Amino acid sequence: MTKLKHYFSGQRARYLITLGIAVIAALSLGAVIMLITGHDPISSYGALFGGALGSLRSIGNVGAKAVTLTMTGLAMAVAAQAGMFNVGGEGQLFMGAMASAIVGVWLKGLPAFIVIPCAILAAILAGGAFAYVPARLKTRLGVNEVITTIMLNSVAILFCSFLANGPLKTDESGIAAGTQQLDPVYRFTKLVPLSNVTTSIFIAAAIAFVIWYLMRRSVQGYEMKMTGQNKQFALFMGMPTEKHAEVSMIISGALCGIVGMFEVYGIHGRFIETVSNEFYFDGMLVAMIMRYQPVGIMLMSIFFAILNIGSAAMEARVGVSKELIFIVQSIIIFFMAAEPGITASINKKRVEISARKKIHEKKDRGGECDA
Amino acid sequence: MLEMLVAIMGNTLRTATPIVLAAMGGQFTEHAGVMNIGMDGMMLIGAFAAVTASYLFASAAMGVLAAILVGLLVGLLFAIFVVKLRSDEFIIGVALNLFAGGLTVFLLRQLFGVAGAFADPGIVGLPNIELGFIKDIPILGKLISGHSLFVYISWIIVFACWIIVYKTPLGMRMRASGEHPESLRSLGISPESMKIIASLLCGVLCGIAGAHLSLGYLTQFTEGMSASRGFIAFACIIFGRANPPKVFLAALFFGFLDALGLRMQFLGISSDITGMMPYLMTVLMMVWMAVGERYKKKRMLKLNKVK
Repeated sequence: MTKLKHYFSGQRARYLITLGIAVIAALSLGAVIMLITGHDPISSYGALFGGALGSLRSIGNVGAKAVTLTMTGLAMAVAAQAGMFNVGGEGQLFMGAMASAIVGVWLKGLPAFIVIPCAILAAILAGGAFAYVPARLKTRLGVNEVITTIMLNSVAILFCSFLANGPLKTDESGIAAGTQQLDPVYRFTKLVPLSNVTTSIFIAAAIAFVIWYLMRRSVQGYEMKMTGQNKQFALFMGMPTEKHAEVSMIISGALCGIVGMFEVYGIHGRFIETVSNEFYFDGMLVAMIMRYQPVGIMLMSIFFAILNIGSAAMEARVGVSKELIFIVQSIIIFFMAAEPGITASINKKRVEISARKKIHEKKDRGGECDA
Repeated sequence: MLEMLVAIMGNTLRTATPIVLAAMGGQFTEHAGVMNIGMDGMMLIGAFAAVTASYLFASAAMGVLAAILVGLLVGLLFAIFVVKLRSDEFIIGVALNLFAGGLTVFLLRQLFGVAGAFADPGIVGLPNIELGFIKDIPILGKLISGHSLFVYISWIIVFACWIIVYKTPLGMRMRASGEHPESLRSLGISPESMKIIASLLCGVLCGIAGAHLSLGYLTQFTEGMSASRGFIAFACIIFGRANPPKVFLAALFFGFLDALGLRMQFLGISSDITGMMPYLMTVLMMVWMAVGERYKKKRMLKLNKVK
């Protein structure tokens, strides 16, 4: 119990309080927007949470979404911890999805226990390689990785769409453009019928544990963190900062690639152009809100998944467009990003007030004011 | 052949203008020492405001005015968070882009009840300008005359930006706040106020860029219509070292690639491949810049050693 108390004291407690305030403020701002556009906030939010948690199927969907968010959020966090902002996860996700889909079609006929590891490996290689390029450019030449990764997003998405519409297009007619169907044997089994949650959730859990261990318990993780927080110090201590930055980006890209593979092998059964709908950016939001804390990212992912899955039900039942959720989510980020500034100014005021009080006290006592 | 070249050049001006306008805003923040990757979102909100006001008041001028006002507001929002509350510029930029995407689509559904795109004969677009005497010159006329209003205004804006940044005290202070804030502070001018002014100017110019996009370039609003142009503008700023005329040339180069890509589609090359060009080129140009810088540094070192 005392350990628990210790765990939630000081900075962490302050952080959790501000997070709570931010979430409540964002949800109430969302409610204000609903009122302005002529909807009842209570029934809308009711529809949202009811829609997300009302049935086993929707809970399954929430689980699947939380897995995606956790994986992409961890991808963002691993790179950000080492001081690299990987905004290109979306492209890495597409490359991973495409690579794994190609492998699945190529190895047709082989047993699943060979094909699936190969597909995961292909996704890791494709995603990692695609993240390595901007990382290398950053460490060796100092090219801003934010811009290059954003640009490479578009490149990857267009490239995959070219493959899906051209050389690798399926022969089947009457379905959306994409690669050939995978053999159903290779697909992950659904845990809840009709939902998106599959056995990939176990793989994801294992990966999440490894990433947590890497970030929080390993020497490499510590060195990566030092690289991100204080590069000069890290260099001074003899840490290979460039290597850490590159490796963190490769891990980040590999995670995104695996998310793409999960989408292909779990949900669509082949590569299609709509394999991801800006999934990485949602994960990025989660990671930023939780300040790149792995455990926090996992918990926040569930909340965001509920919002995400519920928003469709809200749109269907009450008529509030589901984009409202993006607004709410970005408001949470604005609040969280502003938190240090706000607390600093509050603290400043507090110090000012207490200083003034002391001066008054001194004056009252008749002493000289030398403050 | 000549005709095709003229058509490509004309298209270049057309496609480069939104990037030029946004980049002119971004060079202010770049000079002032704020990394602004929220330009894409600023453009998107501006584009939406322009279409809405143009539709409601049946006037393109009102559309532009609305885009400017909303741009000012978004710039203020950005400034409050980044300068006043000292939030991470990168996070605020990303959040701003997401916020813009969500807000515009949400409002599109709520106000107009459409999804995807809003095109209506009620939206008044910006006029195309025929330049009186140039129009009649054979090739030049086709090239320069007959563009949307903001194509010409953007040239004036580039010149004005250059004057402001390099020839006025305000511009000098702005550059100082980015390069050496302490020295500016020692003169009794706060770098923060310079950053706020730069953010506001950036918001306004990005708003205008959005207005051009939705009233000049097209006469409709489409979800996510800024299509990473804000980021390309950012790359142009880096490529042109935030010097307005150079940034303008960089933006023209991107416009040229875009126009070339459109042409190549007619030759049977997949639109996905041609669409990749501007983005790939951005990466290559940034690499080239970095390599050039490195080479320059090395040469300087050598020169110093010789001395």
